Amino acid sequence: MKVNIKKELKENQTVLFIMPSQDYNRDVVKVVKSLKGNIGYVTLNKTFDSLKETFKKAKVKTENILFIDAISKTIKSVPDQTEGCYYVSSPGSLTEISIAIDRIIKHEFDYLIFDSLTNMLVYESKAPVAKFVSSLVNKIRGSKTKAVFYALDVKEQAALIEQSGMFVDKVIELK
Amino acid sequence: MAKLIMVVDDEEDIRNTVRAILEREGYNVKIAVNGDDCLKKLEDNKPDLILMDIMMPGTPVRKVVSKMKDIKIIYLTVVQVSDAERLELLSRKNVVGFINKPFNVHDLVNAVRGVIG
Repeated sequence: MKVNIKKELKENQTVLFIMPSQDYNRDVVKVVKSLKGNIGYVTLNKTFDSLKETFKKAKVKTENILFIDAISKTIKSVPDQTEGCYYVSSPGSLTEISIAIDRIIKHEFDYLIFDSLTNMLVYESKAPVAKFVSSLVNKIRGSKTKAVFYALDVKEQAALIEQSGMFVDKVIELK
Repeated sequence: MAKLIMVVDDEEDIRNTVRAILEREGYNVKIAVNGDDCLKKLEDNKPDLILMDIMMPGTPVRKVVSKMKDIKIIYLTVVQVSDAERLELLSRKNVVGFINKPFNVHDLVNAVRGVIG
């Protein structure tokens, strides 16, 4: 990844990263590693436990990260929250996700990472997802939090990527 | 008689691809578009194996799987789980394997053969 993430987030409050599938897991670690401050991390495709495991292996500290895990509840029994994580019913529970993100914004986290728009489309059609992104970006604009949205570079979802790209300050293709 | 496999995935491309591969290997294949559809179709056919995507709209897979205790299941997944979670999921008697997407044909066929022959 040749993008200077710090610089991009200094100049833009909301950024959409279009990630190639083959580098995706590696890029996810790099982005978190490059951010200093409190991070709210919304995960729709990796469980909280697996992210902790991944970050630990990459020597990334997670004490400053609050996770919103929307996938664990679909595959196993978990409480509504544990230390460092809020669990949401599913990636399609837009209201629950939105409420959890509101807490992050309210507590003035430095960064919000949304991983990823691609997975949300499994559960919801393009229109509600685009509306969700638009509403979320508006909330972020009224806060000090900076947001990074991820989307995988897949042809089938080009329309959503294009639409979401109109809401955020900058779209960056990580090639 | 050929063994029956049910492929449960909300992505049409995946369903069709997996079906084509398995039919070529001599299996009978039924498809379902999500967990609810799968449960409905199980009323008519009891497959020897279910290949099920973890991430699908509708009833969560956790709940769907809890209703089919006597059918072997292999998860097809893009969801990343920890090593401990993988073991925990495999500790359920009928969950017999994981195939990560994107998968290759050999891995798929070998996993299926390993379970039902």
